Amino acid sequence: MEDELSLLERIKRHDQQALAEVHDRYFNQIYHYINYRLGDSDASADLAGEVFLALINALKRNKPPKTSLSGWLYAVARNLTADHIKQKVTTVPLFDDIVADSPSLTDHVYMAQLAPALKQALLELTEEQQHVIALRFGQGLSLADTAKLMDKSVGAVKALQHRALASLARLMPKEVHQDG
Amino acid sequence: MDRFESILDESISALQAGVPIEEILAETPDYAQELRPLLYAAMVLADPDPTLVPSERKEILRDQYLAQAAELTPKVPTLNDKTQAVLSIVRRRFTKKAFLNDLVTISITLSLTLIMAMLILSFASRNSIPGDFLYSVKRISENIRLSVTLNQDSLNALEDNFHRERLIEIEQLTQQNRAAVVEFEGTLDTQGENLWVVEGITVFLPEEGLTIDSNPQEGDRIKVTGFLRTDTVLVADQITKAEVNSP
Repeated sequence: MEDELSLLERIKRHDQQALAEVHDRYFNQIYHYINYRLGDSDASADLAGEVFLALINALKRNKPPKTSLSGWLYAVARNLTADHIKQKVTTVPLFDDIVADSPSLTDHVYMAQLAPALKQALLELTEEQQHVIALRFGQGLSLADTAKLMDKSVGAVKALQHRALASLARLMPKEVHQDG
Repeated sequence: MDRFESILDESISALQAGVPIEEILAETPDYAQELRPLLYAAMVLADPDPTLVPSERKEILRDQYLAQAAELTPKVPTLNDKTQAVLSIVRRRFTKKAFLNDLVTISITLSLTLIMAMLILSFASRNSIPGDFLYSVKRISENIRLSVTLNQDSLNALEDNFHRERLIEIEQLTQQNRAAVVEFEGTLDTQGENLWVVEGITVFLPEEGLTIDSNPQEGDRIKVTGFLRTDTVLVADQITKAEVNSP
């Protein structure tokens, strides 16, 4: 597969084949990233489409991504997602509302029930923490790749990840805080 | 805190690799209580099976994108574009890390080259005599050997070797009828009015331009600097008493 830098050079020349390849290569990743943060597949598909149209507009204005194509796409996706979240009224989830006959950490159904609520709780984090969580757990990126995309040091990403997880863990039900 | 953050990240990597949480916690008992809720949160947050955009929807979005892309006119790279492309490669190449790596590589290469060159020159100069191109290299390498020899006995032996080497050089110059500035040390055997014999070499003492320090006597060890003429006469410029090696 062609490397990202060569692809970037080709789209700077408005090469149609390269532009199609960008969509084919990155659309699913960008959609997953947005959908992870929004939990709304319709809105996420629309926003993912906007990310790629933003790329065309940037090329029209002769302001293409400079060094990292994926970094640029994630940055646009991040901004569009953050704007979308701001427009929505959100409520803090209550894990106590999740009812199980005998809550157990080994009960996959029970744990699966926690997922939507915890993802909703992501909105309580800072925007930067949400971005880190989406990249690390939604996209499954390594610390180094996350740091590169965010233009931060690995240490800074570790600290952000820690703070974000600690905040979310405080919202988790009491079972997860007890020695199993 | 840094240590805990590193343990947390290693634990998350293990979790993502499929290791059960309780097994990970058993490996880090000191941090288990703090780690447990974070790892459960990480587990719940993981998205192992993300939903896909329906293919029809994706095709529509792709078509819209490509329709916009088709409005872009192909750009033939200008000289400025090419320059920018080269500059971007250069900028990537000259990051701080790449620069430091290059610096270390260049330093090591230069040092090794310098050492190799010195060894080769030193080897090539070992048979040179005064007046030869490489003679100064021979003397420099002798001085380096003297300066790095710490043992006094070894130092004395090395100095004796070099004194003998000077006498051999004068003998070679004489055989080849070559003129050169020479310097040697030896015992003053005979002390005439204008001619001294030092270590078997006849030294002419001119009336002008000669410096003699410390009034040496027969039997003393002296150091002679002078000019060996092609007629094999050594005309002295400076004569001093030599330092006697400590035992």
